[in-house]
Amino acid sequence: MKVSDLVKARQANWQELEKLCFRLEGRSRVRVAARTAGRFAALYRGACADLALADSYQLPGSTVQYLHELVGRAHNQLYRSRVFDTAGWAQRLLVEVPQQLFHDRALRLAFVIFWGLFLLSAFLAYARPDFALAVVGQEQLTQFEEMYANPINGRESQDDWEMLGRYISRNPSIGLLCFAMGLLLGIGGLFTLIINATSIGCVFGHMATTPQAENFYEFVTAHGPYELTAVVLSAGAGMRLGFAILQTGGLSRMDSLRRAGRETLPMAMTAVVLFILAALIEGFVSPSSLPYWVKAAVSIFSASTLMFYFVILGYPKEQAGAIGSDADRHP
Amino acid sequence: MDTQDRQLDTRIEVITPENIAFRYRVAGPFRRLPAFLIDVVIQLVAAIIIQLVLFFVFDFVGLLGIGIGLYLIFFFILMWFYGGLFEALWNGQTPGKRIMGIRVLSIDGKAIDAIQATLRNVLRIADFQPVLPVPIGPFIFPVPCCLLGLVTASFNDRFQRLGDLACGTMVVVESRPGLRDVMRIDDREALRLADQIPAYFVPSRTLARALATYVGRRWAFSPGRRQHIASHLAGPLYDRLGLPPNTDPDQLLCAVYYRTFIADRQEEGTAETALPAVGRQSGVWGNTFDVAEPTAMDIFTSVNTGRRV
Repeated sequence: MKVSDLVKARQANWQELEKLCFRLEGRSRVRVAARTAGRFAALYRGACADLALADSYQLPGSTVQYLHELVGRAHNQLYRSRVFDTAGWAQRLLVEVPQQLFHDRALRLAFVIFWGLFLLSAFLAYARPDFALAVVGQEQLTQFEEMYANPINGRESQDDWEMLGRYISRNPSIGLLCFAMGLLLGIGGLFTLIINATSIGCVFGHMATTPQAENFYEFVTAHGPYELTAVVLSAGAGMRLGFAILQTGGLSRMDSLRRAGRETLPMAMTAVVLFILAALIEGFVSPSSLPYWVKAAVSIFSASTLMFYFVILGYPKEQAGAIGSDADRHP
Repeated sequence: MDTQDRQLDTRIEVITPENIAFRYRVAGPFRRLPAFLIDVVIQLVAAIIIQLVLFFVFDFVGLLGIGIGLYLIFFFILMWFYGGLFEALWNGQTPGKRIMGIRVLSIDGKAIDAIQATLRNVLRIADFQPVLPVPIGPFIFPVPCCLLGLVTASFNDRFQRLGDLACGTMVVVESRPGLRDVMRIDDREALRLADQIPAYFVPSRTLARALATYVGRRWAFSPGRRQHIASHLAGPLYDRLGLPPNTDPDQLLCAVYYRTFIADRQEEGTAETALPAVGRQSGVWGNTFDVAEPTAMDIFTSVNTGRRV
């Protein structure tokens, strides 16, 4: 049999496979009839076999090229990406992530750096007025002072919604940026973290010296725990990602980075969830005319959920076999 | 990384569970940048449409604040998760990638999962660095230079940017070429020559490949150029086939191609009547006996042809 006859004989199958690929490519979720799926698989295997034998068939180069591309296309339709499974996500966010975080040294480092710098700059800004001026700048300080000039006694609900949108579009973005910049050997994340810690600390310290102190602290009480923890968490995740390139734990650098990527994305997403919770509180509770003790209660409640998440859910479980491998990773 | 030794071009070999190795072309920046820009335009248009709709509707009921809030939430999702959502749901493609015919895959050739899709899109901001603030009028636009991503991509053989490295993905070209049939040989002189080629002549595998490559591309060359290129391959064939050295090399290669890939002899001859076909066959045999030399035969039959179908 000559090549042209062979190509002619197989052409119909190839083109049928091509048509099926075209049909499947147009859909995001595929539910095909069993017969079609069976036909597709058979045609795909046929094309694979043709490709495998292309050399001994002495098929011309252009036909081999066509077969490579056809098999590639069909392969992508046969092995499709798994769509989000939410059950797995709950397991990951509520069981695996806290276990990881409990041991995470990058997170501890981020925690120490953030709160250390925060307290230091708050103290300096309180003790020396020119410090806050030098770090944050007059313009922003005046802005903050004006913002909290009036006592908090609620605003219209649609303004709450507008502010909620502003917080959600701004704060998680900062967190994700912190996380992504951590990829640059951890330095980018460290940099973003330090900037945030010092500027937030300065504002806190400076506001204590102004007459608006009471308004300011009343406003930040309720959403503070979630928001500040989320900053630390996203920076820690980013640093973990960046340090994985340097400290490989015996893997190749690329493998180490890949593993860290898989492990840190849920951390960053947890931070996004915390940012959104903080934004909800900041949008609806903090500016409301509720008495101060309610806001303080919200603050205490959110802090205790964080403790529950990090310590109780995160405390290493001895009996679980799956955690054993995790403990090996962080001796 | 076992491809590193033999890879010369941008093709990546993937071995499937069916134990087939097929090749992908890795997409470089000149395909990925337009795809990204298309996505940016889609994001902007979507943002503007949603903004207009939400603002109009909520302003109509007198709750503009809620409209602004919803729009900003939508904008946040669009900005950070547009690529991740599409790549997870559309099997590694965003609208821009689909238009440019590229797709994200794991480096082992499997489809990407939701984590990879989200992560590589979140980490894009790191590849954008350094971002320069460019003042245009009263506004300051952050313009990404993408230097980090470009440099990283040029240091590995899969054009992976930092985000790709961190989640083990690559972007491949998924072209959709039509099947090109075996080249047709219409030249009468070549067909006549094909009849003169001895029946026992079976080209080796490498010769067949060279023939297919040459005939597949000869249309792109001028006649003089064809002669020049073909003479390298045709020269040694004159002796073996017993043809006079003044035979046109281009036509000779076409003739051998015809005999190898299309048919043993001209089909139109067999279509006329039964008898001439027999006559022509005897003619071929006659030629064969004229030119047959034992050494030449040894050369050609030493090639393993047992598996030809």
